[in-house]
Amino acid sequence: MFLLLPFDSLVVNLLGISITVLFTLLLVFIIVPAIFGVSFGIRKVYMKTLLKIFQWATLRIERGAKEKNHPLYKPYVNGIIAKEPMSLEEEIKEIRRSGSGKSLDAPEFELSDIFYFCRKGIETIMDDEVTKRFSAEELESWNLLSRTNYNFQYISLRLTVLWGLGVLIRYCFLLPLRVALAFTGISLLVTGTTVVGYLPNGRCKEFLSKHVHLMCYRICVRALTAIITYHDRENRPRNGGICVANHTSPIDVIILASDGYYAMVGQVHGGLMGVIQRAMVKACPHVWFERSEVKDRHLVAKRLTEHVQDKSKLPILIFPEGTCINNTSVMMFKKGSFEIGATVYPVAIKYDPQFGDAFWNSSKYGMVTYLLRMMTSWAIVCSVWYLPPMTRQPEEDAVQFANRVKSAIARQGGLVDLLWDGGLKREKVKDTFKEEQQKLYSKMIVGNHEDRSRS
Amino acid sequence: LSAFSPHSPVTSEQIEHLHRRFKQLSRDQLTIRKENFDSIPDLEFNPIRGKIVHAFFDKRNLRQESDGLADEINFEDFLTIMSYFRPIEMNMDEEQLDRFRKEKLKFLFHMYDSDHDGKITLQEYRNVVEELLSGNPHLEKESARSIADGAMMEAASICVGQMGPDQVYEGITFDDFLKMWQGIDIETKMHVRFLTMETIAHCY
Repeated sequence: MFLLLPFDSLVVNLLGISITVLFTLLLVFIIVPAIFGVSFGIRKVYMKTLLKIFQWATLRIERGAKEKNHPLYKPYVNGIIAKEPMSLEEEIKEIRRSGSGKSLDAPEFELSDIFYFCRKGIETIMDDEVTKRFSAEELESWNLLSRTNYNFQYISLRLTVLWGLGVLIRYCFLLPLRVALAFTGISLLVTGTTVVGYLPNGRCKEFLSKHVHLMCYRICVRALTAIITYHDRENRPRNGGICVANHTSPIDVIILASDGYYAMVGQVHGGLMGVIQRAMVKACPHVWFERSEVKDRHLVAKRLTEHVQDKSKLPILIFPEGTCINNTSVMMFKKGSFEIGATVYPVAIKYDPQFGDAFWNSSKYGMVTYLLRMMTSWAIVCSVWYLPPMTRQPEEDAVQFANRVKSAIARQGGLVDLLWDGGLKREKVKDTFKEEQQKLYSKMIVGNHEDRSRS
Repeated sequence: LSAFSPHSPVTSEQIEHLHRRFKQLSRDQLTIRKENFDSIPDLEFNPIRGKIVHAFFDKRNLRQESDGLADEINFEDFLTIMSYFRPIEMNMDEEQLDRFRKEKLKFLFHMYDSDHDGKITLQEYRNVVEELLSGNPHLEKESARSIADGAMMEAASICVGQMGPDQVYEGITFDDFLKMWQGIDIETKMHVRFLTMETIAHCY
């Protein structure tokens, strides 16, 4: 028993020393650069090493699959069939026109009318548009995360060992490190902004507030090991403008806010988020809405307009899609933010899914599960493009303006431009949209029939 | 699959993709039944949904010797039905084009002719019109009927010419059907095209 005592204290000592060393390293290599906004480039090196390993792993899987004659499915992301862009009326008219040469103003039911619905039916059987967008992009290479690969089978010992090693590193080394960083970042944010909030309004307060915000967001960026490439930084949003971006996950906010100083817009939450929100608003004017106010669109528009008109206030950050989309396409932008009349600064965010899938499927995962998934991925690699500012032209209405901005963002980020409403993920396909088609057709036939019988 | 390839140069990638879709619909079983088509939300709103699903199980479309309806179809049958919608190829000659067109029109004919007797009778025609117009709740059955009757008379006049008062038009045969589609470019419209695949943009 006496022999255990010195052994115990040895272990305790070792533990103490290693923890101290770890924290010093943390401070020097991660937190200090975050404060000053510089980077050692460690993350880029990490990324390159990982890529090489992934390539090797993919080759091994393909080779192994060939040897065993297992089919490897390479799924395609953007849908497999080209859908005709013409509307119901146009198509049916075209068919009839090419056929009996009858005049178009006296159409009745034609034998060929069945054809349009038949083809549409076959198209939907072959490929469903909406649900495809909402599951995470499937990859063509394996990134040693078994959650993203459905082809994973036992291929070779080396690969499994590598995967096991990966799990060990991610869960036992990276995860605690990241959690510690996140904790540091958030607590610094809350205390920093509260302290700054006590200062009298003025240039000093603004300066400090800006730097506190930036510093804490940078620490959070490192907490997620996010490797971000910013393009065209000269187009960054200015005061009195609205910054508009496509939405893939809650992390988008951290990514954008670590490179610029924005006023946030959002709903008031309870719990930890609520604490953070209340602290942030002490240092600089963010726009938080109560849940009841969110439903009142006029109120929301009014508050945003007031904020935007005050040129000394920060640019507002808004995600007009309204929900998280899986980063292969951009869905319909809600027109509210485009009615306000301020300059819009579009930003395109594109994640590289090879290192970790950033898409938040809020109907599948809660926030905490999602954050854990993020923190146990290898890294989050993304690109941010700042697009030149856009204003609403006099002959456009809000919807057209919104669509114009949306196309610009989609084009830059290499995403597909879709007209679907992102809210479809939660509710069933809006019945009205589809029923329109049927009603339109029967109106075409019946309406004309009635006209003829009357005359 | 080898029986399929002389008919069309569908690429193996496209077949793979259709196979994945088949597996999704069949929930990893080897065959599909009618109920499996219920899992496609967009199909709900198609007025002739019933006829389209029916067409997949119609033995005439499956190029089988017997008649009637199959209970279940496998992947080869699925591909056979899909082949009716393959796009036109550049190097087809007159004869091939004609055959191509007839095949597609036969598919549509089978949709109308639900009792498989080779003729579209007035009742069957009425059936189709009612289904197509079923999306409009305000439409009365009588109106749908009269529209169908009017259209049928017109079809009769195209196919048979002037009829005497005692003549009864039995129904539209396949040849009559072909006559009515004359001039309509069905070969270039009745198809589903595969998109060319693009790579995911890389970020670094």
